[in-house]
Amino acid sequence: MSTTRAKPKKPTLKVTPSSRVMNVSTSGVLRVNHSSTYARSINASVSRKSFSLAADSKILDKSSVQTPKHTVQVFDENGKDVTPQPLYQPDPAAVMSKHSKIFASDTSGGTMSDFYSTAYQTTTNASFAGPFTRSVFGSSTVSRGSQSTMESMNEEIEDPSSKRDISISLSDVQVRREEVKELIKEEMLDDVVDRYLIESETLWLLHMPAVSVSVDSEEAESVKERNNLYMELCKNRMGNDKYVERSMQTFNGAPKTKEVQSEAITMVDAATTATTWDMYDSFRSAGLGEAALSPDTDKASVPEIVSNHRLDPTRAPERTMSVISTTSIASASSSRIEIEPFVVPSEDEPDPELVLQSEKFQQDLFVMERIILENIYQPKLAAYRQLPTLEDPDSVPKVVPTVVSRREESSLDEESTLTPALERLWSFSCELTSGHNVSSMAWNKRNPDLLAVGYGQFDFKDQKSGLICCWSLKNPTWPERVFTCESGVTTLDFSASNASQLAVGMHDGSIATYNVESREKTPVIDSSDCAHKHTSPVWQVRWIDHERGASGEDKGETLISVSADGRISKWFLRKGLDCIDLMKLKRTRNEKDKKQVGDKEKKSEALISRQAPGLCFDFHPTDSNIYIAGTEEGHIHKCSCSYNEQFLETYIAHKGPLYRITWSPFCSDVFLSCSSDWTIQLWRQDLFTPVLGFTSTQSAVYDVMWSPKWATVFGAVNEGRVEIWDLGASILDPTIVSLASPGVKLTSLLFATETDCILVGDSDGQVSIYQLKNLTVGEGTQVAALEDIIGSTLASQL
Amino acid sequence: MAEVEETLKRIQTHKGVIGTIVVNAEGIPIRTTLDNSTTVQYAGLLHQLTMKARSTVRDLDPQNDLTFLRIRPKKHEIMVAPDKEYLLIVIQNPSE
Repeated sequence: MSTTRAKPKKPTLKVTPSSRVMNVSTSGVLRVNHSSTYARSINASVSRKSFSLAADSKILDKSSVQTPKHTVQVFDENGKDVTPQPLYQPDPAAVMSKHSKIFASDTSGGTMSDFYSTAYQTTTNASFAGPFTRSVFGSSTVSRGSQSTMESMNEEIEDPSSKRDISISLSDVQVRREEVKELIKEEMLDDVVDRYLIESETLWLLHMPAVSVSVDSEEAESVKERNNLYMELCKNRMGNDKYVERSMQTFNGAPKTKEVQSEAITMVDAATTATTWDMYDSFRSAGLGEAALSPDTDKASVPEIVSNHRLDPTRAPERTMSVISTTSIASASSSRIEIEPFVVPSEDEPDPELVLQSEKFQQDLFVMERIILENIYQPKLAAYRQLPTLEDPDSVPKVVPTVVSRREESSLDEESTLTPALERLWSFSCELTSGHNVSSMAWNKRNPDLLAVGYGQFDFKDQKSGLICCWSLKNPTWPERVFTCESGVTTLDFSASNASQLAVGMHDGSIATYNVESREKTPVIDSSDCAHKHTSPVWQVRWIDHERGASGEDKGETLISVSADGRISKWFLRKGLDCIDLMKLKRTRNEKDKKQVGDKEKKSEALISRQAPGLCFDFHPTDSNIYIAGTEEGHIHKCSCSYNEQFLETYIAHKGPLYRITWSPFCSDVFLSCSSDWTIQLWRQDLFTPVLGFTSTQSAVYDVMWSPKWATVFGAVNEGRVEIWDLGASILDPTIVSLASPGVKLTSLLFATETDCILVGDSDGQVSIYQLKNLTVGEGTQVAALEDIIGSTLASQL
Repeated sequence: MAEVEETLKRIQTHKGVIGTIVVNAEGIPIRTTLDNSTTVQYAGLLHQLTMKARSTVRDLDPQNDLTFLRIRPKKHEIMVAPDKEYLLIVIQNPSE
């Protein structure tokens, strides 16, 4: 009989079969009360029982019946029951048979199961509870069991009978288990099951006992014996047939050298400076349309190292050359890049001249010219604009006569308490205009730097083709626009509402409007198709802004013209240019003249026309209904737009044709007139005789204009000189007189609006700019001064 | 085209203008009133300077661009109108 003697190596553990049996029984008894569910516990105890007592079926039975629960009882040396409680107590009904079977199959296995079986023999119940508990409890118990049985294992291993017993017992157990289970099932329903959870003792999981033994201990002898045995074994090993030396050899594969050669990987350094604008450009062009820039965007996808310059194929080929080198390592897409640079140079070669024709080039040239001229004319322009002129610090002071003379003049002026003078700044002229007579000048209403000058003869005799030039202050050497007309230009005016529209009146009676913005050479509208067009030279055109819409269609600007056929007409656009007559200037006869010329009159009753040729007119500055017109007879008629039959007033004083008539911009009652009878007359609206008359030379006064800045100042141009009159200073003599160059007649005058400059046009085609220097006009309200003068004059007359 | 030629001629005849150069993007002079070596020298140096100036302007604001460049040495004044395809250079002596 193999008895499992749990070798009491460990004093704490003593598991004796006998005690076991007893324990089993007792435990079984005990346990039955506790848990009828523990049907499985039978098995372990049963197995153990069988193991220890081979074919002791009785005990088996007993134990099987009696011990539904675990049969292992561990007692320490003191006899205390230290059996560990199962950690897991599952539902037997659920898991029973299966697990038991599993267990059975496992334990009937090989040596491993052997170990298990022995363990289970020593251990107990819950091992059957299920694989889970088996593992858990089993392991713990195994370890414990191993403690006790480890040493005995060696002996027990060679005990096949035990195995058999186990299997037999197991099978028996199974049967019994089932029986017990059934019993329990019935009872289960009614019984109240109590469960007791008891804290277990410390579990030893590993205990490695000392291997060495003292000489005095009990085991010393056996240990010594064993050691001797081992030594003998070692000695016998040498020649013993039992022990054969064997060696193994692992095959090492024969090494083989292998070489691989590849083409050298070319490395190219590429760098780019990522400037802000580069990134902006590439971002923009990448986002732009595909069609035009698809090759560019593809190139962008190619390594970014490739410079972003490539994005613009129109860039210089020299840059593309550098790009080619950097793209030599790029992928297939680079082939496209490499193709393109070769294309680009060939495109550029045949057309270097194309550059010249590009619009940008023209514009650059334009700007460049202006800048050069600005450099040249800078002092003059600065004086015009009333800025302090700066001396160039690096310029070598050259002795130039004009400069010196000016310096002398200025020094003289400073010495002589700043006498007013005209300083010539520059002149607008070019070879186009030389030889033409300046007939009229007008400032652009919107751009104060733009000047339109009309060239045309006054006389009937030598009529040439007329010319209109638009000059800009920034370029005094070449006009911005040049328009040629068939006949001489006699008058022009810029529109205020449409600042690029220029109305021109010509010597043959036609009126045209030009658009100065465009570069077209032809007028926008021509009056030559109009039925009522003027048949004689148009002497003045003016754009008038009618604020009050008198007859409904008078709103906005209309073009008014006066011509030598005696009509003042208003032009407007219907289908083409059409006009209606505002007034027909009838001949009025002075009563005095009538008497004198009585006889002649009869003979010359057949007048050429009943109308007096009108030479000039001017609308009232505030009341756009009233206007005054001057005729060839020397009469001034005040008319109204509402009445086109009658004059309101007639002012007769001049003995010759009136060349200019103009209202004062400050005093609304006062107007000036100048005529070929060498006089300038100052009128007041309500008086039929002129208030003041000015004569200085014996030549016809061609033009007169009020200064836009000072109410008492006006300028006049006669054949030989320019005169500036300041009524506040003197009413008898002009304040400033400037002589014209010999051989040249001065024909027109224009004040500059913003600055103290005047423009004088002459018969040689030059428009000279003069600056009024040192014109100290009395302070205080100018209007009052003018009226004072008038008042005092009237008073003196009376 | 004729207008361009005319304007160029006019510029050359202005007071104080020493020379006028138009070069294309490759540095080949299209029009010049100076001798070839001077032209090439001017074109090359000014091209680099213009690139640098343009880069500066655009770095400050990428939407901006250089339209004109004026350099004022003691003796003359050099005015450059740069573009992608050409370079317009005028040298003037303003104090004459």
